[in-house]
Amino acid sequence: MAKIENGRQSVDTRSIRTISSSHLDDESSLGSDSEINGFTSDRQTDKYGFIGGAQQHTEESAQDLPPEVLRQREVKWLDMLSHWDKWMIKRFNKVRLRCQKGIPPSLRGRAWLFLSGGKVKKEQNQGKFQELDSQPGDPKWIDVIEKDLHRQFPFHEMFVSRGGHGQQDLFRVLKAYTLYRPEEGYCQAQAPIAAVLLMHMPAEDAFWGLVQICEKYLPGYYSPGLEAIQLDGEILYALLRRVSPLAYRHLEKHKIDPILYMTEWFMCAFSRTLPWASVLRVWDMFLCDGVKIILRVGLVLLKCMLGTREKLKACQGQYETMELLRAIEPRYMQEGFLVREILEVPVTARDVERENHTQLKRWKKNRGELNFKSPPRMHGARIIMLAEPPRRQDLQQNPTIVLEVPQPTPQLKKGKEERKSKKKKSIKKSQSIVEIPNPYSLPSDPPPPPHSDPPAPPAVSSETPQTETDPPHQQQAPPTHLPPAKESPLQRSTQSLSSTDQDTYL
Amino acid sequence: MGSDESYNFVFKVVLIGESGVGKSNLLSRFTKNEFNHDSRTTIGVEFSTRTVQLDNYAIKAQIWDTAGLERYRAITSAYYRGAVGALLVYDISKHLTYESVDRWLKELFDHADPHIVVMLVGNKRDLDTLRTVPTEEAKDFAEKRGLMFMETSALDSTNVENAFNEVLKAIHKKVASREVTRGSICAVTLSNPTSDAQEGRRNCCKSS
Repeated sequence: MAKIENGRQSVDTRSIRTISSSHLDDESSLGSDSEINGFTSDRQTDKYGFIGGAQQHTEESAQDLPPEVLRQREVKWLDMLSHWDKWMIKRFNKVRLRCQKGIPPSLRGRAWLFLSGGKVKKEQNQGKFQELDSQPGDPKWIDVIEKDLHRQFPFHEMFVSRGGHGQQDLFRVLKAYTLYRPEEGYCQAQAPIAAVLLMHMPAEDAFWGLVQICEKYLPGYYSPGLEAIQLDGEILYALLRRVSPLAYRHLEKHKIDPILYMTEWFMCAFSRTLPWASVLRVWDMFLCDGVKIILRVGLVLLKCMLGTREKLKACQGQYETMELLRAIEPRYMQEGFLVREILEVPVTARDVERENHTQLKRWKKNRGELNFKSPPRMHGARIIMLAEPPRRQDLQQNPTIVLEVPQPTPQLKKGKEERKSKKKKSIKKSQSIVEIPNPYSLPSDPPPPPHSDPPAPPAVSSETPQTETDPPHQQQAPPTHLPPAKESPLQRSTQSLSSTDQDTYL
Repeated sequence: MGSDESYNFVFKVVLIGESGVGKSNLLSRFTKNEFNHDSRTTIGVEFSTRTVQLDNYAIKAQIWDTAGLERYRAITSAYYRGAVGALLVYDISKHLTYESVDRWLKELFDHADPHIVVMLVGNKRDLDTLRTVPTEEAKDFAEKRGLMFMETSALDSTNVENAFNEVLKAIHKKVASREVTRGSICAVTLSNPTSDAQEGRRNCCKSS
């Protein structure tokens, strides 16, 4: 939506991007893309990368965690990621709990890729993305995609410059999808989904994340005919009856079709509706537990905005109601409140399937057979993994920071012994920790004695080969002449891992 | 929401046309006097209102905007319900967007009120140097099909007011002359207009 300056000026509101974008040099390493476009420092970028716009982080909604808590969570997540199949099969409840608490920002991208099954897909299809990436694509889709590149999160520094890295990667991911699934082609709501993924991981990973969302979590949402989204609209509406009879009756009375309010919510998984911190929390839970989370968010918002007589008094008609639903009060979207409410909604995956069945029957009766039969929906990460079981090597990570972790210290959590993570570079457990120079060494560290070059990474699934646009997420070759990482175990690091200090694109 | 302004009529007008022709910016230009090169892709439905004075009447224009991409047409029937006017927009610099006008017209007549007032709008007139659709050609086409016609630029505001005002005037004319059979056009009157226009009033018919 256009940035609102001043109601009724007769002068054009200048686009947030200046005219100088025509001089953009793609390969420029001039700071961030926003600097290239002539942004001065008076436009602050929030910690998520937003320069302006409604989703910019505000202090009131902040739920910043103390660094010690973040550290602890990171350790737990690193451990889970190193033993992913075991955790998913045997201790999924714990995984779910940790998703509900919020994935630590430094590991979010990686966790999302694992949760969604994108990691496995990527490893089982090595070279596939590169193959799709190199093809020209159907001109019809290319044309539409290109029109949309500058229209996704235009207030986010990653996507603000035309032809910049963010838009380029967005193009690559969306184009690849149209080649991967030519019968599906491109649907505009896929762009924000892909953009959110790209904010956390490189293009190839984002591609597989998108594939999983489009095929496992929300099958049919983006297909021609948009039948699945209409069905989910009916499911949402039906579930509302139980959750908030007042809201339900109001929508019924004014004949407000679910499609009129839930389309953008659901198709973009709330990425265009909620403040950013809340988007991330919702996605953490959504990728863990599937569409029921999306439905719950919808139910919470409907209940909050239309659930009391007092609120309904102000809404005399269809238009007024829709206006209300379009301007959800910030307090209902605030991270803490929203997550608590989501967890309280009494809607399970089974409820969703049952209602799905009912609505499908109704649809067939009123509208005939579905034109576009989608594969069955998967309600979360565990089910996806069971359906597509990984090989051991599919879950292998390729870390560049290797740490030797000391024995557990007692002060971390009362009564609980923290399990430390050990990131291993090789498959064999017996191999000793390889010392890799720490690319993020502390400035105060003395220059180390010269030491040998780090050993080459093992020939397990390698990172994506260098493309001509060196994505910022690619690991830098570790510089030599740095102290071994041994001296700075995770818990005692004084270096903040907060995204304001570090590149979050791990 | 609740503004104090009273109005005599509410006219629902829909913006339709291919993706990227400028529907969202026409909406924001008319209702908020804003334009944005990077306005977000419309997904679902956007809407905004503006009240204009036409003769003695206050007309509240309720403008609806939606995604132009082909597959979104599957969800548009709710969108057309109760619409009395439509701006069918194409981009004068992209001939393809003009070629699909017939498809959009079919869409309109399949889903919308048969009496709906339609204006063909050639947007992005500021890109005259990149023009691929001659004005005369489009004008003739519109005439043949019984559509109103105007070229606009949401970017520099050219004719945006005119386009909407003309459509609203034409709708009002239809309503006032009772050319329309009862029930097929929904207009809400909330206050007494000047004494002469009594028959223009219709019972409140909240869009169904």
